[in-house]
Amino acid sequence: MSVPLGYYLTLGAVLFAIGLCGALTRKNAIAVLMSIEIMFNAAILNFVVFWHYLHNGALTGQVFALFAVAVAAAESAIGLALVIAVYRHYRSVNVDDMRTLKG
Amino acid sequence: MNIAFYILAAVTLLGAALAVSLRNLVHCLLALVLFFVGVAGHFFLLRADFLGAVQILIYIGAVAVLILFAIMLTRNVSGTEGGGNSLGGAWWFGAGITAALAALATAAVRRSSLAATLSSPVTEQGIVKTMGRLLVTDWVVPLEIMAVLLTAALIGAVVVALEEDRKS
Repeated sequence: MSVPLGYYLTLGAVLFAIGLCGALTRKNAIAVLMSIEIMFNAAILNFVVFWHYLHNGALTGQVFALFAVAVAAAESAIGLALVIAVYRHYRSVNVDDMRTLKG
Repeated sequence: MNIAFYILAAVTLLGAALAVSLRNLVHCLLALVLFFVGVAGHFFLLRADFLGAVQILIYIGAVAVLILFAIMLTRNVSGTEGGGNSLGGAWWFGAGITAALAALATAAVRRSSLAATLSSPVTEQGIVKTMGRLLVTDWVVPLEIMAVLLTAALIGAVVVALEEDRKS
């Protein structure tokens, strides 16, 4: 009736790999951030999957996934603010242009 | 149940693949929203209703709009629009690493004895109610720390984004 755990884990692994591919190959910093969001979601999906298959009536897994979502939201807010700050400075969001440490 | 899993998996994979491969950033964002919807569907399927609602509210409601604002604020006036994946050899390098990682993880999952585990039944119906109660009793300290973290992150985001103006 139900799908075995391995299917979901494989899906999570493939989604993470797709996100990693985007983070490694995209040039636009916003596209890199989007890929990081994909990886984050794959990880959170894994949390929820393990909770669903291995819980003993406890909701700890869901609470942990909830906190992970909150941290991901904070990360994306900071990341996009950094992208905007970098854009103001360099007039570009191409990650290849961000080469100096001292502005 | 099985059919729903396969449909949602297809939606999620399609959204993720399009989000990392399309050239126009706004199209990427739309594909990303499709991906978020797929993940939320998975959460509903896994009986994590509250997390599914949170996924829709936070990711589609907030993060997607935030990314859209960032795209509109940083649109390159003169240069390459969108910033696609025209990296030549590096594109294949990244895809190769990704395929290797996916193959490795899939092989590890297949070998694991845990992977055949079927779902344990969710006993209680009022999961959201129980979870809300847990959040303000057992997990109240992490919840408050998370609130402080989010406040600090938002203030930090504003400070970082405004820094250039203050200097001039």
